[in-house]
Amino acid sequence: MSRPFYIKQTKSGKVFDVANVILMLMFMVIVVYPFINIIAISLNEGTDAVRGGIYLWPRKFSLANYKYVLNNDDIYKGTMVSILRTVIGTVTAVLGNALLGYIVSCRQFAGRKFMRILFLITMYFGGGLIPGYLLMTALGLVDTLTVYWLPSIFSAYYMLLCASYVQNIPEALFEAARVDGASEFRIFYQFVLPLSKPMLACIAIYVGVGHWNSWFDVNLYSKSGTWDTLQVILYRMLNQANALKDMTDSTMIAEAMRGIQPLTIRAAITIIVVLPIIVIYPFFSKYFTQGMTLGAVKQ
Amino acid sequence: MKEKMKHMIKSFNKQRQLWLLCIPIIIWVVVFAYVPMGGLIIAFVDYIPGMSIFDCEFVGLKYFRDFVMNPTFLQLLRNTLAMSLLSLTVGFVAPILFALCVNELNNKKFKTVVQTTSYLPYFISWVVAGSMIFIMLSNEGVVNDILLRIGLIDAPVPFLTEGKYYWVMYTLVNMWKATGWSAILYISAMSGIDTQLIEAGAVDGMTRLGVVRYVILPTILPTIVVQWIIGIGGILNAGFDQHLVLGNASTQAYWDVIDTYSYRYGIQLGYYSLGTAVGLMKSVIGVLLVWATNWFCRKKLDTAIF
Repeated sequence: MSRPFYIKQTKSGKVFDVANVILMLMFMVIVVYPFINIIAISLNEGTDAVRGGIYLWPRKFSLANYKYVLNNDDIYKGTMVSILRTVIGTVTAVLGNALLGYIVSCRQFAGRKFMRILFLITMYFGGGLIPGYLLMTALGLVDTLTVYWLPSIFSAYYMLLCASYVQNIPEALFEAARVDGASEFRIFYQFVLPLSKPMLACIAIYVGVGHWNSWFDVNLYSKSGTWDTLQVILYRMLNQANALKDMTDSTMIAEAMRGIQPLTIRAAITIIVVLPIIVIYPFFSKYFTQGMTLGAVKQ
Repeated sequence: MKEKMKHMIKSFNKQRQLWLLCIPIIIWVVVFAYVPMGGLIIAFVDYIPGMSIFDCEFVGLKYFRDFVMNPTFLQLLRNTLAMSLLSLTVGFVAPILFALCVNELNNKKFKTVVQTTSYLPYFISWVVAGSMIFIMLSNEGVVNDILLRIGLIDAPVPFLTEGKYYWVMYTLVNMWKATGWSAILYISAMSGIDTQLIEAGAVDGMTRLGVVRYVILPTILPTIVVQWIIGIGGILNAGFDQHLVLGNASTQAYWDVIDTYSYRYGIQLGYYSLGTAVGLMKSVIGVLLVWATNWFCRKKLDTAIF
């Protein structure tokens, strides 16, 4: 809602409008610039980049960093684990929450209130980090892929979103199916799932981005490194860079000879890690806000 | 009574399929949500890994006392409060101002572009954000380079390795990441304003500033209050991922907060009981704070979240 025509435009108002546009442009630059800077560094030759002074585009263009990163086995494996985790985590969470949402909004189901409360309590109370960690250890989930998706399938918040959506589907549809002898599960996958596609897409985007981005649980549970995701590989590199700032070993020197530097490698990995998000962002930005405002209405 | 029983059994039979679908979900929620809640008992016992919680010695509030008496407690409290107060002031006002500015933009297309860009950083993980900050704030990074060029400084500023810059850096980075995102709530509240209200004001000679002061601000006030209550409740949450990514040994005196302490002792060093006690204490204080602020806001401002 901008200035309506019936509010008089004053001189100071005009000055404000111009200043406001400039301010917003500056804001956009601040938001976007870090990405541009890192892309420029990642496309620069390593030993040259260490000298600094790269702003918008590479000084000595080189694809060596990306070549090095893409040929690295650890990173290849990390990418696979990241993708696997995101796909399994998203599919299970979307189906799980849709099913739960259907169950708690099914009007003639006596247990719906019980289920609702059972989950609402988890919204306000939780065990926290350490009891959760001890539980995963006790269940033998350390060093498995399961630990990434199983504990986060259901969520009270998504349950509420799904339930409020499913409630808007005409009950008569389900009744008719029941009369025709359809089982509840069949109603779920033949009616509920296709009819709530827009909301499921919204949840899928949310959960998917969350899975792609999450790194702390990986850091916690991937002890042997078998299930390291891209995020954690980058995190460990940062930690190393932090701790061993002045330390160099023979491999690093050898790599430096070839124009490979930890700095540019880090930049290249950073870009690879955010790339999926940047790519889907323009297409799905609508969904990104939907969850936030839907949740706000619910409150 | 018998009639009722019969009815119940009949309806249970009818709903058997739904109950069957519920069974795995109930098992899941008990295992992954309620068992950890019960696990909070380890804050009150001397927990030894591998032993059943009920066989461990009950020590009452010993670990809570240990934590508060700890010499680093005051430092943890200082860091936690300093950083969350910065977030609650600067970080709280920024999205409101940003929302007001976006709302005043006349060009609809530009407005959408600004908004869509503004919340992009929210969807970037802290590891990625941290990696970018590392590169940009290092001695050869672009920030130092520009500051040197325009002559504001004579030598590169060690932003990352000197503790005194940490709080400001933390606040700015958080703002970079969350301002656009937090503004969504305010902007969507503003878009619901009835234009008739403004028209009526315009007839009475209301200026643009007047519209902001008497129409827009009162409209978003409930949202502001709700956000404030939530913010106060989280006053002991002064970041976690951020510190694990951005902090290092030389700045630890400034970034070590209650959460990172709980993680370090509770998980990395294996003092499970102490770590749990710290986390539990923090949550209880958070709940009390939300409750108290909520009570205050309902009394004084007539808005509350429950």
